[in-house]
Amino acid sequence: MTPLIEVESLTLQFRTDEGLITAVEDVSFTLMKGEVMGLVGESGSGKSVTAKSLMHLNARNAVYSPESRITLHADTGPVDVLSLRTPRELNVVRGGAISMIFQEPMASFAPAITIGKQMVEQLLLHSDMSKGTAKSVSIEMLDRVGISDAARRFDQYAFELSGGMRQRAMIAMALSTNPSLLIADEPTTALDVTIQAQVIDLMKDLVSEFGMGIIFITHDLGVVAQTADRVNVMYLGRLVEEGPVREVIRNPRHPYTQGLIAALPKLEDLDAPLTPVPGDIPSPLERPAGCVFNTRCSQVVGEECMALVPTNCRLDETHSVACHIYREAAE
Amino acid sequence: MLNFARFVVTRALMAAMTLVIVSLVVFSLMELVPGDCAERYLAFKNTQGSGISVADIELERQRLGLDKPFLQRWALWIVNAFQGEFGDSCILRVNIAQLLGDKFWLSLSICMASLALAYIIAIPVGILAASSQNAFLNNSLRIVSYLGLAMPNFLLALMIMLFATVYFGETLTGLFSSEFRDAPWSFAKFLDLLKHAWLPIFILGWSATAFALQTVRALMFDEIGKLYVTAAAARGVHGRKLLWGYPARHALGPIVNSLGFDLNRIFNELPIVALILVMTDAGALLIEALARSNDQQLAGAIIFLLTASIVALNFTTDVALAVIDPRVRKSIIR
Repeated sequence: MTPLIEVESLTLQFRTDEGLITAVEDVSFTLMKGEVMGLVGESGSGKSVTAKSLMHLNARNAVYSPESRITLHADTGPVDVLSLRTPRELNVVRGGAISMIFQEPMASFAPAITIGKQMVEQLLLHSDMSKGTAKSVSIEMLDRVGISDAARRFDQYAFELSGGMRQRAMIAMALSTNPSLLIADEPTTALDVTIQAQVIDLMKDLVSEFGMGIIFITHDLGVVAQTADRVNVMYLGRLVEEGPVREVIRNPRHPYTQGLIAALPKLEDLDAPLTPVPGDIPSPLERPAGCVFNTRCSQVVGEECMALVPTNCRLDETHSVACHIYREAAE
Repeated sequence: MLNFARFVVTRALMAAMTLVIVSLVVFSLMELVPGDCAERYLAFKNTQGSGISVADIELERQRLGLDKPFLQRWALWIVNAFQGEFGDSCILRVNIAQLLGDKFWLSLSICMASLALAYIIAIPVGILAASSQNAFLNNSLRIVSYLGLAMPNFLLALMIMLFATVYFGETLTGLFSSEFRDAPWSFAKFLDLLKHAWLPIFILGWSATAFALQTVRALMFDEIGKLYVTAAAARGVHGRKLLWGYPARHALGPIVNSLGFDLNRIFNELPIVALILVMTDAGALLIEALARSNDQQLAGAIIFLLTASIVALNFTTDVALAVIDPRVRKSIIR
């Protein structure tokens, strides 16, 4: 297996009127070619911001720390994503080798431009196709994701399609340039459960067919369990646990991951009370010192939780966790 | 295409209906003014020294058709109004269509020119301001906008006149130089008009621009923050293609929508500016007719024409909106 994208010590702050706000802190991970990685966390955990950094797409007030490094292993060779500046350079990570699907398919299509026109525009930006070829490729792609009557849909607007149809069209558009990495930012959250299952099945099919890597951002552990090979759990801008998806769900080690799994409603025991993770995610303006989870953790082991940022402990080959509980075990 | 034609025709009929209803309101208001044209005319004659009797008034009423029932007179008035015929002025005793003559079209042109000026400036500047992070540009625009919104037009007009008189010894009043005032239309007269018209256009356009600028900027801010813009950027769309093709393209609809409203505002401000600049345009005539002489025939005609212009513009923007926005267009065609 060869790495597709490597993120090293990614630290990202936003410059605001209230000062620098840390959104992502010291996040590192590697995605292999053809691998599906789940990125899980509550709203505000920094998962979307992390994903957007891979396309260098964060707002203009974003400040990356000098140690941050994102390397994309594109077909043409390694690309240092954060050093890209001009639109021409950025092309490779924006719609070229990396595509992104957003949470709300309705809002991510421009309302007054046909779906076809938006697809063709993207193809023309990233290939030497003629307009005619781009059109037939787009229609073929719409057909491929299961949109019936694709030639007619090509000339329609997003508001004329149903929710599931729109997300299919979004997937078709994202895959039309044949990217090696697909970032899916909560692609099924806005959909009905039945449509959600269809879209997930479609994505799984396409992954095996196109052999691309996927970063699947969600707060829904159920969706991650169905789709991902590996899962990264984020909390307040930090990566707290990382491992194979079955291992992490069956045997969560970080108190936060344990809390997330305990908070899921259980169909087999409907009388069991829901056990949410107590408290709220703190404001990014008041990041706790030490472990970022210490304000909500039920298993604080001592002073170090309040003062020391926990380092990553390898539990085995593939499973690691950033928590003081496991520090001695690892040493 | 057929559906589109049907839409245009329906809208045109609705506009005409609106005008008919407005005409009823205007006509009723004309009736509400105490006294009628016959009394007014004879009262005027009386001041000239000739004695009048009740019989004279009755005779005059019959001559003017004022003895007919209200609805019949209204029907006659509206049928004539749609043909551009408004009868005689009560006081001035001349045909209103002749009296207004070019004046109404001049007023309308001045208002439209101010509107055009406002949007020609506001659209590009508003779009660039919304997309630029330049604090200096944004702050100076804000100050200019607030000045435009806060300073009354008449004050601006007075200041410019004062300035021109004191420093250049020129009086910037009227729409024509004296030698052209009653001359027939010619290219020289048109040039003379341009020489004079820039001032009312500028004064009326000043606050309209400030207003339009705020509208465009706010609409653009809204659009730029939307997800489809980020999504387009994530597909590699960038630079001018991104700015004009996405947020600007989508802000256009609401901008077109605000045009009718703005023309209305400019029309409302025209009479005051006209009064100060001593322009004998329709606005000035309206003030004259309403405030000084109680000339209900003339006032009614002007109000009807103003309303007709605004209804016509609204009709145009409705059709334009259907052309621009597929959501509107498709809802018609379905």
